[in-house]
Amino acid sequence: MDVLKQLLGRLHPLFVHLPIGFIILGLLIKWYDRKKNAHTDLLPLIFLWAGYSAVLACITGYAQYIGEGYAFETVKIHLWVGIATAVFSFIMYAKLKELKAVAFLSKVSITVLSVVSFILISFTGHEGGTITHGEDYLIEPLPNSVKSALGFETYEEKDIVLTDENWQEAQLYEDVIKPILNNKCISCHNPKKSKGGLLLHSEEAILKGGENGPVITANKASESELFTRMKLPKEDDNHMPPEGKSQPSKEEITLIGAWIDAGHPFDKSIGELNLKKNLFLPFIPKKAANNYPDIEITAASADSIKAIEKTGVHVDLISKSSNFLTVSCINKPAFTNADFDALLPIKSQIAVLDLGGTKITDAIVEKLPMLTNLTVLKLDNTQITGENIEKLDGLAHLKSLNVTYTNFAKEHLTKLANFKKLEKVYVYNTPINATDSTFLKGSDIHIDYGNYQLPQIAADTIVY
Amino acid sequence: MDNLETLIQEYLQREAQAKTRRHFIKNCASGLGGLALSSIFMGCDPLSTQKKKAKITFSERDLNPLATLAPPLSPKVKSVIYLHMAGAPSQLEMFDYKPVLQKLHGKDCPQSLLEGRKFAFIKGTPKLLGPQAEFKQEGESGNWVSNFLPHFKKVVDEVAFVKAVHTDQFNHGPAQLFMHTGSARLGRPSIGAWATYGLGSENQNLPGFVVLTSGGNTPDAGKSVWGSGFLPSVYQGVQCRSKGDPVLYIEDPDGISRNLKKSTIDAINKINKEEYAKYADPEILARINQYEMAYRMQIAVPEVMNINNEPENIKQMYGVEPGKESFANNCLLARKLVEDGVRFVQLFDWGWDTHGNIREGSIDLGLRNKCREIDRPITALILDLKQRGLLDETLIVWGGEFGRTPMQENRGNKKMAYLGRDHHGDAFTMWMAGGGIKKGASHGQTDEIGFSGVEGQVSVHDIHATILHLLGFNHEEFTFDFQGRPFRLTDVEGEIIKDILA
Repeated sequence: MDVLKQLLGRLHPLFVHLPIGFIILGLLIKWYDRKKNAHTDLLPLIFLWAGYSAVLACITGYAQYIGEGYAFETVKIHLWVGIATAVFSFIMYAKLKELKAVAFLSKVSITVLSVVSFILISFTGHEGGTITHGEDYLIEPLPNSVKSALGFETYEEKDIVLTDENWQEAQLYEDVIKPILNNKCISCHNPKKSKGGLLLHSEEAILKGGENGPVITANKASESELFTRMKLPKEDDNHMPPEGKSQPSKEEITLIGAWIDAGHPFDKSIGELNLKKNLFLPFIPKKAANNYPDIEITAASADSIKAIEKTGVHVDLISKSSNFLTVSCINKPAFTNADFDALLPIKSQIAVLDLGGTKITDAIVEKLPMLTNLTVLKLDNTQITGENIEKLDGLAHLKSLNVTYTNFAKEHLTKLANFKKLEKVYVYNTPINATDSTFLKGSDIHIDYGNYQLPQIAADTIVY
Repeated sequence: MDNLETLIQEYLQREAQAKTRRHFIKNCASGLGGLALSSIFMGCDPLSTQKKKAKITFSERDLNPLATLAPPLSPKVKSVIYLHMAGAPSQLEMFDYKPVLQKLHGKDCPQSLLEGRKFAFIKGTPKLLGPQAEFKQEGESGNWVSNFLPHFKKVVDEVAFVKAVHTDQFNHGPAQLFMHTGSARLGRPSIGAWATYGLGSENQNLPGFVVLTSGGNTPDAGKSVWGSGFLPSVYQGVQCRSKGDPVLYIEDPDGISRNLKKSTIDAINKINKEEYAKYADPEILARINQYEMAYRMQIAVPEVMNINNEPENIKQMYGVEPGKESFANNCLLARKLVEDGVRFVQLFDWGWDTHGNIREGSIDLGLRNKCREIDRPITALILDLKQRGLLDETLIVWGGEFGRTPMQENRGNKKMAYLGRDHHGDAFTMWMAGGGIKKGASHGQTDEIGFSGVEGQVSVHDIHATILHLLGFNHEEFTFDFQGRPFRLTDVEGEIIKDILA
């Protein structure tokens, strides 16, 4: 008998959908048929089926309540509204059949009854969902803004924001630990849904711990479950957060450990605690060191890129995440100043230009300023001498200039001092050498003179 | 002439095979079923009123599999030079300084380290073996480098060390496969294959993935360490030689002029084009392209592989020995290849397996010789790339397939002829240098005797994730569909080693 009870009970989720389907179908047909009245025979039948299946759903539902050991308090509303729905389905049947038994309803319009019927089935369904999926099962996936607008308490997903300048002033708990807990733990450990009896939304709750006692052992991360559970391998049953939930990074877990080791203070700054910077480095955003300007730009037309590639010049997006292009003449050593004009349709997208090993001459500097976003320029292995190189000082983004293996003259190097963004210049194998270091004194530009030597040493020839 | 006749005959036979009814019915029975099935499915398509005529379009990639592709994320480097010391160099004599191990030299290895462990050769209770090199902190970074590498210490501030790499393999073959394909078993593509598959290669006259070997032997794992696995075979590494013909059979045979070769290839391609017009198989187009590339390579490869034209000071800097197979030659070649737009250059240097069973394989003598062979070339490679402005856009990776034990090897439970160390995968050192790498960084630490990692442990997958990151890929999204599921170089693991990134 127990077996039957349990089996019946487990069929409840299956049977409940029959009355839902019938009732909705009946209501739809009733609405669809409101003018023609062509289905008056069919409609009562549908509600009769709805009634029978609702009774079946009630029986299986009761079996499940008994068999799975739910508290009556939990299922109370669902149970009564479910029965009401079943009864009401029969009433709808009777009304549509115009049976005498429901003569007392003759004054109530069928529309009102339909609305009641719809409300009943929806409410029963929702109550059932609440029992299986939890009270906030519809609210939970909503974005925080909608949740708070609806009046629900939210735990904001907040990023850890540290900078090179202020990382020491940041509050360890408020600015670092709390965001980690909020983003990765609190969805299961909050006053509404305290898994394992543990709450992690406030100082008191964290100190109180869960059903197995405190989760923090002062100054000992290795003995604090808050830390050790996260540290367990993901496959371990005790690993937190459980598989499938969003996981904290290695660095975040390390920080939780460091916080506990530091005595889990709630009101101390990182500086006061004297913690090492490299703990926080992953959370200090790095300035992007890309080979293109930090601006948005429209994409170059595919047709003009194709046309340029036909001439043998190599054009490619630097990455799919930006519209800037890298252009190289690696497959076209015959490239001349005149060929440059072909690049004009993509002039604002070119960020990296490699003209190394081509037939260009000094006159190219007349044209290069048109590439307003040029960041990396290679003119190595060409005939340029640096004549008129000052014309490039308008290139506001130029970071790197390579003139190795050219006749770039000493006197032109000083002109580079006015280049605002220029960081690196490569002058290996030019008439310039390291002893000419008076150039660009006081500027931040790094000149790589190259010509590195590895003199012979005794160890080079000793064979053991 | 005989050959030509055979060719014509074969062609006629192929044509005939393609036409006879018998062949059609015999070989295509299942094909017919498929055809029928496809027409049924088309018939079920409720949205199309008339059948569209299939239009065959090919991307540039179909026609030229090495056409460049932009990486999804902003790349830090364009090319990679991977220096693999096949046989596994001893981290304890090169970069991982363990003074405590020196003090414990000759003592029995603690049982706690041996329990439940399996080593390749060590039996019973081995003795601890102190470092056989002298260490000093070098450069501004103060990272440790041994006196086995007197040149390398000059560039120590250019590199970032990863000191607690671990692998789960302790034999050369599987460990090398793991290090280069992300799996200890055969069948996965190598890092270089993934890189060329994902990015193509800029120079249309050179292969995108070139492999150079030295040390008198190729890696134990065989050519699979630069194989293409399930990726199209065009992405596998092309092995070039620094001695003799750079690529076998690249020279035209005696009596065949360049013009005749050109006409031959033109004729073959003409037939191929007709074949393509008939069957529209994209493989045919790829083949046409490969013939043309091979023809261009005949000029370009011998040129780039010729180190004789390099200036004398550069040759001296690397310590090259023209005409021989040497690691120094290969380092210079690696620079030339990267300079010419090759995507991935893989160097294997054999002979690092220092068990102490023979003189060459001793930790104090043989290893020191091997170190001398790579010390100057690697230092020169870093400096040469730097002075050409190429180090910013190239990644250099150095490492072996695993590390070596802090214990002296006692093969067969006997004292060995020379000092040696057994295979050890728990913790070993690798380093990277170049674009996107934090200069002078050192990530991870091993315990007092260098047995296992105690901080910043890094897996082989993490190394791969980092290399892919620098090339502009998210290693978790860079996949290839094979046998019904997407495959990754890093399988289901890998975390970027952020500490060594600039």
